[in-house]
Parts: sequence; structure tokens; C-alpha cells
Amino acid sequence: MPVRIAGSAVRSCFGDGPATFAALLRAECGARPLRHQDPARSGVEYGYEIHDPTPGPFRASAWLADCAREALAAAGVDPAARRTTAIVGTGLRELPAVEAMAVGEARFRTESLHFGAALAGAVPGIGEVHTLAGACSAGGHALALAQDLIELGEADAVLVGGTDAMTVSMLAMIGRVAETPTTRVRPFDADDHGVLLGEGAVAVVLVPDDPAGSAGAAGRAGHVRLLGTGLSCDAWHETAPDHTGILRAMRDAFDRAGRAPGDVGVVYAHGTGTALNDPAEARALAELFGECDPGPLVTAVKGAVGHTSGGSALLSLAMAVHGLEAGVVPPVSGLRRPLPEAAGLRLVRDAPMRTAASTVQIDAFGFGGVNAVALIEAA
Amino acid sequence: MAAPSPAPAPPVMSAAVTAYALHVPGDKPGTLPAALRGPACDGPEAAELLGRKGLLAKDQATRLALCAVHRALGRPPRAPRPTGPADPGAAVVVSSNLGNVATVAKIARETLDQGPRAVSPMDAPGASSNVIAGAIAIWFRLGGPNLTVCSGATAGLDAVRLACLLLRAGRARRVVVVGVEPDDADAALLHAARAGVPPGVPLRAAAACLVLEPAEAARAPVIELGRFAGREDAPAAWTPGELAGDLGDTYGAAGVLLTGLAVADVEGGGGPTRVICGDPEDGRRELLVRPR
Repeated sequence: MPVRIAGSAVRSCFGDGPATFAALLRAECGARPLRHQDPARSGVEYGYEIHDPTPGPFRASAWLADCAREALAAAGVDPAARRTTAIVGTGLRELPAVEAMAVGEARFRTESLHFGAALAGAVPGIGEVHTLAGACSAGGHALALAQDLIELGEADAVLVGGTDAMTVSMLAMIGRVAETPTTRVRPFDADDHGVLLGEGAVAVVLVPDDPAGSAGAAGRAGHVRLLGTGLSCDAWHETAPDHTGILRAMRDAFDRAGRAPGDVGVVYAHGTGTALNDPAEARALAELFGECDPGPLVTAVKGAVGHTSGGSALLSLAMAVHGLEAGVVPPVSGLRRPLPEAAGLRLVRDAPMRTAASTVQIDAFGFGGVNAVALIEAA
Repeated sequence: MAAPSPAPAPPVMSAAVTAYALHVPGDKPGTLPAALRGPACDGPEAAELLGRKGLLAKDQATRLALCAVHRALGRPPRAPRPTGPADPGAAVVVSSNLGNVATVAKIARETLDQGPRAVSPMDAPGASSNVIAGAIAIWFRLGGPNLTVCSGATAGLDAVRLACLLLRAGRARRVVVVGVEPDDADAALLHAARAGVPPGVPLRAAAACLVLEPAEAARAPVIELGRFAGREDAPAAWTPGELAGDLGDTYGAAGVLLTGLAVADVEGGGGPTRVICGDPEDGRRELLVRPR
């Protein structure tokens, strides 16, 4: 049973959702020299930061709270009036505070590491708030469970969140394993590998998809349905992806959605620009769509907005909703010469492409081998 | 006898607990039922249970969690790790708030003191807060949905709740639920900075594992979640406060650990038992464990 995406809100290095989608259409790159992090500590000089003129602690919570208020208002959902659960996906929680504590810079209430209090304060009446750590596909896992809650009658609406600010520890690890320092992300590029972190938050409101139209009373109906989200764990390697595990999540998504690969017109790929992810994902997509002629258009947002970790799946989803509404697919920012593994994929390059496609696939994979693949459709 | 509930009871989620293990290093005799005390270890001696290979880079919480799962699955000491394809019907749900804070804090200190080249790529998985659930999936070849709940004091029963959701939604046939916290210096500092815990109650390292399957599929004690209309008078309750004096506070592990204790009571012939976890800051959750 599909659910309806009744509202969404975005914070990225470009600003809100419309600003971010406009930047994607222009194939912009939001990477800049880091301003809130010290490259002498992490070894990483560039990233896709949200620039705060007066950066305080708990930035991921603040962005999430803003997005939650906006998304609920856009959806016309009042958590005080309906059973509304929140599920927040995050890679790094508020670990920047733990890093500050570790070097003697901060004392804080440990409850601030998760997002319950931030959301309860921002959206009065919200029910249970679940904080799920799921690396770079956390938002996709939150999306899957949110749909389950609505389908099984356990919630009338679900606020699905994803949020992450950068940590020194994750930056340092990315810098440590990079072959050469990079200044931007180039998804599916043959010559230039390397990921950079992005910062961002996204909130999406899901409500039951009521064909009788009572969804109007329950919230201003959006134009896009979430058909289903497939989940899997590679159970293979802690940090390297495995294309068979990825394929299982893709096939689970189609089973749940009651759709076939041939129905999909556009894929928002995970596309991290790394030598590990992109060939594995390209291989999985080639296998999934092998029978389809011509196969879907493929794009990826991380060349523009960086790797926003826990927010990544929902950021791609929010951009896909904009794309469905506008009938357009943004190009892969930064892609010059595609990987050999991606030779058979119809990657969107340089400029946006018009499309009448109504069904879109959204990929997200993370450390720990955790995979989430969502399918959405214009209503 | 309780009076029948005047309103129709809301839907109740249930699941069977088909296996479980409690893994609490250094528990004093009498704290946990004797039958539940096992070779609880979190240091190098975890190799006695798990075998040596692959343990070197694992943090304390991951070692505790692997031990608890190993015991819950009934695997003999140093049994060879499973091989072959991962089971896509077996999910993992971990509850932990402090599992990777020591790794994150260590990397933060190393980068400040010595710069970026000082950090070890061996610590990379621990920079991400879902390291424990991923390690369990790899170790035991569990390929279903893989979740890590970090919602504070309610996380343990939240994990049980989400595990039941995975079963109900047909996303798994079996869910390995693990509650685990370490007790390293960084974790202890953070635990002491909780607003929701009484002062002076120390953090206690612990892990507990429950294996959940659909309630109708197995002959085993059953847990029920939902609103407990007509059940508020269930005779016994396991709460975090009950163990605090002997055991300290196990934070994100508490809900799973207490559920394990209630299952042991029921297996020992006890009646329906409520399990409560949470604190004044994060809220309260409860479930019921009953005989089949």
C-alpha cells in the first residue's frame, strides 16, 4: 500500500529545497574550502558545508528542527491533532559535541546526542521520536519503517528526518583513506575518485494515501506517492559495498512496490564518487535494468551537495519529488568521463533532461553494508 | 481479577522470544539468575568464546555484543564462524547510545595532538555509530534489515518495538535484537552528564540479546507491545531501578536486558511480567512478557 509524501523541507549548502534543486539544474558544485573545520586536524581541506555566520553546537539538531516545522506546515499536519511519530536517520548523531568534550571544550546534557528533545521542542505534540544511526543510508531506513508504521495502522502520519553535520573523526578517516586529496565529488567519473562530506538536513512527512480524498482533511495532499523501500545488509565488509547486497535491496523495493524495473524512468543513484561505491552500484544497476531498453536516466546529487550522510537518501528523495513535479532530471555535477562499469547507464550529463517518467528509484548505501532503495511515483 | 476493559483494546504487537542471552561482565553472584551467568567477557578473553580471528580491531561494545549473540544462538565456544551467503530473512536491531563514543573521542584527541596522519584506518568503522550492528551482520551472516537505535534511555525497548515492526511488515523472519553499552572513560563521562539518571548511579557495561520470531511460529515466551488496557495490574515489573543498586545503569542496553530477565522468569514458571524502561528526559516505554 503506497503512502503519500505530503510535504518536505531541505537544508543543504545551497539553502532550502527549491534553491538546492535550482543549483542541481545548473550543475553547480557547492564544495568550498572548509570554514568550520580545521584542515590541519583532519587533513581535508574541502567540503560542502552549511555556512553558519555564528556556528553554535548541535547544528544538526537545529537544521532538523527547522526542516520539521517547515515540512509539517507544508503538509498541513498538526502533530497535536494526529498520532504522529518521528523517525530520524543519522550517520553521526551529535558526535561533534562528543569530539569537543574529548578535547575539553564542552559540557552538555548527554540527551542532546539524539534528536528527541530537539524535535519535541520544535513540533509540539509529536509522539515517539526514534533516532536511528544508519550511516549513509539512515534516512532511507527511516523512510522504510515510516511507511511500515502507516501501513500497519500504528501512526496517522510520520515525520521522517535525516540530518548530519561534519565530525572531525569522519573527516580524518576520509582524508586518511583517500589516495589523493580532492576538491570536489565527481560521481561515476573514471578519472577522479574521492568523497567529500556535505552537511544537510531533510524532513519528509508521510500520510496514508487515501484515494477517497480524505487525505485532504488529513493534510494537504502532495503529488507524489512513496511506493515502497527495500532494505538489506551486505553482511560482507564494514566499509566496502557489495553489489549483491545492493541488488537485494533493489529487488526488495520492487517486490514491495509491486513494480518492475521497466517501470522506472529515472534513478537517483547513491553515487559517492569513490572507487568502491560507484563501480559496485553501476554493476548492480546494469544487472537490474539489463533487460530494459533503453533503461532509465541516471543522475546523482553528490557532485553538487556532497555526501550528506544520514540525510543523503532523503535529500535525493526531495530532489526527485521536485524533478517529478517539474518533469526534469538534473545532471550529474562534475562528471566528465564515465567509469567503464557505467558505460551502459544513461547518465545525465552537463545539462538537465526533460522526461515524462512517473516512477523514480532512489538509492542509498552506507558503512556497515546497509542498503535502502526507495521507489516513488507521481500521483 | 481486573475488570474487562470498557473500550476495545487497540492492536497489540507480539513476538516470540525463541532464544536469549545476557552478557554482563563481572556480575556479582545473586545479581542475575545463576542460569543466566555465563562466561561474560569484554576484553581479550572474548576470544575464548568467539575465537581470535577478527577481534583485534573491535571496540568493547562490539565484543560484548558479539559474545551475547554467540551465546544466544547457542554456538559452542570458539565455534567456526558461519560461512556462505548471508541469510536475507535475518535482521539485526542494536540499541546503544555510547558504543562508539570512545573511538570518536580517541580520533578527536589524536587529530588535535598529532594531526591527521596519527589516526588509524582500523578505527574507520567506529567513526560511524552503526558499527556494532554491521559487525554482528558480518560475523553471523545476517543479511536482513540492519538497524541501530540511539534514542537514549528508551532505546532498548524501542529496539524491541522496531524488531516487531520488521516482523509484522514481512521484512524479516527472525530478528536478532541486541542492547549494549560499554563502560570506558568517555562513555562514563557522558553517562554522568545525563540529565535523566539519578546522580551516583554508575554506568555498567552490559550486553543482552533476544532472538524474536513471529508469535504464531514458535513455542516460546511471548512479548506483547501496544497499549496495555486491562494489563496495568500485571503482577511483576522489571525496571531499571530494580538493578541499579547491584548492577549500575546499563542505559541503552537496559530495555533488552530487563526483557531477558522477564523471559527467564516466565520460563521459570512465572506469570505475565511487565518490563519498563526510560527516564524522565527520554520518556518511558513498556512491554509485557507472558507465557505462551
